[in-house]
Amino acid sequence: MQGVAETATAVAGYAFPNDFHVHWSLMIVLYPYITGIVAGAFIVSSLYHVFHIQALKPIARFSLLFALAFLACATLPLLNHLGHPERAMNMFLTPNPSSAMAGFGYIYTAYGIVLILEILFIYRETLVKLKDQASGFMKNVYGVLSMGSDNIGARALALDHKVIGFLAAIGIPMACILHGYVGFIFGGVKANSLWATPLMPVIFLLSACVSGIAGIIVTYLIIKPRAADSECIRSCIKFLWGFFILDFVFEMLEIGMHAYLSTHHWHALHELFWGPLYQSYWIYQVLIFSVIPFFILMGLSLIRFNDFIVKLFGFIASAMILFQVLLMRWNVVIGGQLMSKSEQGVVSFHPEWIAKEGIIPAIIIMVLPLIILFILSKVFPFWLPAESESSSSK
Amino acid sequence: MEPEYKSKYNAHLIKVILVLIVLGVGGIAAQALFIPSDFGEYGHYRTGAVEDEINRLVRNQTNESCLKCHPFIKKIHLGGVHKTVSCEFCHGPNADHAVDEKKIADMPVKRGKDIKTLCLRCHNKIIRARPEESIKMIAMPQHLEEKRVQTTHICNQCHHVHAPMKWVIEAKKAHGLIKEKEGLFPWMN
Repeated sequence: MQGVAETATAVAGYAFPNDFHVHWSLMIVLYPYITGIVAGAFIVSSLYHVFHIQALKPIARFSLLFALAFLACATLPLLNHLGHPERAMNMFLTPNPSSAMAGFGYIYTAYGIVLILEILFIYRETLVKLKDQASGFMKNVYGVLSMGSDNIGARALALDHKVIGFLAAIGIPMACILHGYVGFIFGGVKANSLWATPLMPVIFLLSACVSGIAGIIVTYLIIKPRAADSECIRSCIKFLWGFFILDFVFEMLEIGMHAYLSTHHWHALHELFWGPLYQSYWIYQVLIFSVIPFFILMGLSLIRFNDFIVKLFGFIASAMILFQVLLMRWNVVIGGQLMSKSEQGVVSFHPEWIAKEGIIPAIIIMVLPLIILFILSKVFPFWLPAESESSSSK
Repeated sequence: MEPEYKSKYNAHLIKVILVLIVLGVGGIAAQALFIPSDFGEYGHYRTGAVEDEINRLVRNQTNESCLKCHPFIKKIHLGGVHKTVSCEFCHGPNADHAVDEKKIADMPVKRGKDIKTLCLRCHNKIIRARPEESIKMIAMPQHLEEKRVQTTHICNQCHHVHAPMKWVIEAKKAHGLIKEKEGLFPWMN
């Protein structure tokens, strides 16, 4: 009997690898965050291009470029996380349809092609005009970007319009799949009781919409603090509130389901939520960065305040929601790994500043899309003076 | 009156479609060029990969391999509460030290403050996943203060790293705090 007791003791006290090292750290927090912003920003654009929400017209083009800038950096956290990033392209050489991980490569590439084509078709008329005005290197750039065609006659623009409608229409399900997939990859880890729920793709998708809209509002107001279209901001705030209601409710429903079902995993989840995640989940994600912006957005949506108040509090609420989504990613990705595989307890994680996957690289990766957005603004004008008059600006 | 354009109304769309076709064909050509010829013979892998893995140097061994050449340590290690701890967990992979049972380099041995870091990898109270009943968890420097020794002490000044309670029990016996017990390895308790 003594032997059995000794064996049991040795197994219970076994040093599991995750007790020492959180393998999916900051980079894997950023990956769904950036991807979510891409999907959300595209949906803002589609609300105008497909669902014809006219109030969003001023930011319809900007949101596509915003999505492209973040899309360009969506793979960076993953590549930085990988030990052999050069092997990333193998998924295209030897595609494996049953690999959930490789799925991202296919969805990302297909969506990237659709997004780039949509931008080029939407901007074609503008690019042709800019090509005529430009000289030297930029003339060549505009020549390539306008797909080597100078035809901006009514027939050509009508064709563009049809193509744009088609691309936007297939772009919406693709954007939803892109981020729903990110939720799927976490929800599919059945060994992790925090992640393994069919609600995960839904929550990730809704939080993606929320972060995309919030990101658009924040950057729009930073670029044009005074000249930003108030009606556009009001519409964005209403959509943000709407999506956030769904997002927040589903987040709470998920933990409510865990608590009510009280399966054999609940003791580990309970210890997690009331242990290392207590502050980052309950205090920051739920209480401060969900409840406060929720009521701000509710007030801004239901009561007609003057433009200054709408812009100021719209900015504050959006910035808070951007942080809420980042906290949500942190709590899901890091939180899920803080439970010991022994389910005997929880561990802690403190990110390093200077490390391959530390805080400094994370900041650099988050700043890069903004630099790309700035470069894009030099080629693609975000806002055109003639935009409102031009019937073909769709 | 619409102006004359050099390009046809659908020229750009045709170009885009052509570019996509070229990219697709380029992808297929790249597959033909880069996929190893033995890929997919038996499954979604390169057949030669099996051979590569077989030929890979085995870096880790069991305690049995280590203790075969270290009979003195064997006596102590198997007699202490660390008897189930893998040698490689503290010393690193066997392959860095011996190949085909022949020594090729000295085994890395932690000394000084590194010993403390090593011990705390398992015994640090901050790792809350360890049940107290199966492993001794301590916080530094509280543990040293409780034992009334200097806080600069290193773990192996009181504990034998292979049999942590060996010296503690021997000292207690010497001071008559516990009775002598029979048996080869009395510190096992």
